[in-house]
Amino acid sequence: MSTTSQKHRDFVGEPMGDKPVTSLSGIGETLGKKLEEQGFDKAFVVLGQFLLLKKDTEMFTEWLKDASGANSRQAGSCAQCLKEWCDAFL
Amino acid sequence: MYSLSSKSAKEISDLLDEYGIKHGPVVDTTRNLYEKKLKEAMMKGKRSKPSPQKTYYREEEDEVTYVYRTPIRSDCTVDSGSYMRSRPEWTEREFEHDTSYSTYLRSRPEYRGRDFVEGPYVYDTPSTYRNSYSKSTPVKYDQEAPKASPRFIPLWIQFVFFLVVAVFLYLVFSNMETNESPKAIE
Repeated sequence: MSTTSQKHRDFVGEPMGDKPVTSLSGIGETLGKKLEEQGFDKAFVVLGQFLLLKKDTEMFTEWLKDASGANSRQAGSCAQCLKEWCDAFL
Repeated sequence: MYSLSSKSAKEISDLLDEYGIKHGPVVDTTRNLYEKKLKEAMMKGKRSKPSPQKTYYREEEDEVTYVYRTPIRSDCTVDSGSYMRSRPEWTEREFEHDTSYSTYLRSRPEYRGRDFVEGPYVYDTPSTYRNSYSKSTPVKYDQEAPKASPRFIPLWIQFVFFLVVAVFLYLVFSNMETNESPKAIE
């Protein structure tokens, strides 16, 4: 539990609603902008992509790295965040 | 080489299945990723067509016994043994007799030119076959269906250990009984 960040815990703890993409764990300002440019302006749209990839964290991590330029740690963190959110709410 | 981007989504999906890549729908946002995955898989040279049965087609041919022409080489016989092993209708006994008989027939004209007696040499072949044949069966099992779970400690050692523990416990219990008689030194 101590390995997850506060941001992670905040996201996973409740339905995401209309939260911006930067509320995702691992996604900061820079990466958030890159994603918004591609149309992923809300967290749920990124969730949509995660679901399209059948909730496969490896695939999603790879996609996120390609799409936003995230590094392995950031992409992995985001994938894990989404996975846990799905486990809790989907 | 064909270009992946000109393929339809269905074709990409089929290709992904062929390479054994788990995937979701091929849509705008996922297409690039899947194309990239396919390129990686193609470069690694994974089998593009999942039809392992193709390697067993040789059992259909009559020439399968032909492979036994070189009896001494154990690696050859292991390979051919594995092919033969996959025939379900052949029992082990029939199989051995038949192949050894076929080698009797075939080996004779072959070894005529050699300077050793045919008799003892022909006797050798069935034994080598048996040895290599028994070796081939575990190889085949490995290829077909890896059922044997990898053991860290070999099974026989586990049995021996169990026996040792059982004997030890027996000794302990039997000594406990004899100690009931008052031998204690006060």
